[in-house]
Amino acid sequence: MTAPATTDTPPVEPSVTGSGDRRPAGRYGLLALAAAVVVGLLLGYAGGLLTPTLTRPGDSSAEAGFARDMTTHHAQAVEMGLIAFDRGTDPEVRQIGGDIATGQQGEIGTMQTWLRSWGLDPTGDQPRMAWMPDGTGKIENGLMPGMATPEEMAKLRVAQGRELDVLFLQMMIKHHLGGIHMIQGILDAGGDDDVLAVAQIMKNTQQTDLTNLQNALKRLGG
Amino acid sequence: MSISTPGGPERRPTVVSTGKKPAAGRPAAVAKPGGGKSAGAPRQTSGGKGPRKPITPVKVSQGRSWGPIALFVAVGVLAVSIIGYGAYAAFQGSKSWEQRAADIDGIVDFRDKDPKLVQGGQHQQGAIKYDVLPPVAGPHNPAWQNCMGDVYDAPIANEHAVHSLEHGTVWITYRPDLPADQVSKLRSKTQGVEKVMLSPFEGLDKPISLQAWGYQLKVDNADDSRIDEFIKTLRVNASVEGPNANCGQGITATGTAPRDNVPQQQQQPTQ
Repeated sequence: MTAPATTDTPPVEPSVTGSGDRRPAGRYGLLALAAAVVVGLLLGYAGGLLTPTLTRPGDSSAEAGFARDMTTHHAQAVEMGLIAFDRGTDPEVRQIGGDIATGQQGEIGTMQTWLRSWGLDPTGDQPRMAWMPDGTGKIENGLMPGMATPEEMAKLRVAQGRELDVLFLQMMIKHHLGGIHMIQGILDAGGDDDVLAVAQIMKNTQQTDLTNLQNALKRLGG
Repeated sequence: MSISTPGGPERRPTVVSTGKKPAAGRPAAVAKPGGGKSAGAPRQTSGGKGPRKPITPVKVSQGRSWGPIALFVAVGVLAVSIIGYGAYAAFQGSKSWEQRAADIDGIVDFRDKDPKLVQGGQHQQGAIKYDVLPPVAGPHNPAWQNCMGDVYDAPIANEHAVHSLEHGTVWITYRPDLPADQVSKLRSKTQGVEKVMLSPFEGLDKPISLQAWGYQLKVDNADDSRIDEFIKTLRVNASVEGPNANCGQGITATGTAPRDNVPQQQQQPTQ
């Protein structure tokens, strides 16, 4: 009787308001849950996005400093090694020169790949060796420990025969000693696991090289 | 979440009589409490006064627990700020070296100006004419100028130097009349740094000119901070051949005439 009337006219209003007092509870609950899920997902996504950025080595980190400086240090060893490989006389000198050149060039690739994956330039803002305690004081004319001077390199380039072999061995021994010192620097500083693992391999290789270089030098009477 | 405000049960009948039909999706929750009450009928008339109704929901909303809402808002604000910071950091960190190079005041980008020139360089014997001087790209001698932080005290051959640029070198050139203290500042930026080399260059219109593959920047003073910026941004990065390109085993002699097919041991030391 009245019902048809009420259901006819009120439907619009009461249904809105009526549902307004109970359904909102369920609706807002559901909305809140959905919002919570979305927020949670976004947080997780943002966290996942940010974590590598915040945890990877930064521009002034020891890892970045090591990667840059050891690249430079290695680059000179490659130059010396290729001279020995190209123009050495003693077979072992030529062999070890080629071995050092290819090995260290490969390591340069590894180190440069680190820098790229960390979003860093091959060139840093920090002075050379700033990542090592007392490091910058060991730079002489821009050269890091063990590196040959331009004069020594010029001498090696024009040397011939046994003189070249001996000169190369002497220069590479000095170079490796300086290199091992710097590698020890990153091993002491600690940091990225992969960097430390590669640094340890570099150290092992250069220590083995050192023994062979010294024995070859003795054999050649240098 | 269930509402137990005093006004609730009273109003429920209206929900029953009207709400049932439109919201067929969730009748159970609505129907149960309403079904038990017969007080619905008198209310229906008042329910008929549509315009008044909107007031009641306000009461109900006061019954909402603000705790969870505040919590969600707080978490939301936190989430937005974290995401915002992340986006900002990502934007800052994602600036490519090309973008940073473009930001250097006064830099000339030949990659943009003359893309063909910068594509790559074919090897070519003999003297080569370069339109841009000092050259920034183009064909070049098969031998590169040694670019292991070499400091040349006399002009070098463009044909070798361009090959060094291709390998990622920043070539710093200065007018021969640059004061010695300025030259020594440039020297200290070069020595011991592979993929940087320094040489005087005749006929420069500015005291100092820096070259990387496809880029040039001319400055007046060795103290100009853009020199370091140029080196940091473009050394190795501008290389056509990537970070493994060699800079040793190059020509170490000076002189502006290119040297064709010179075995290394015949070179004269110049340093």
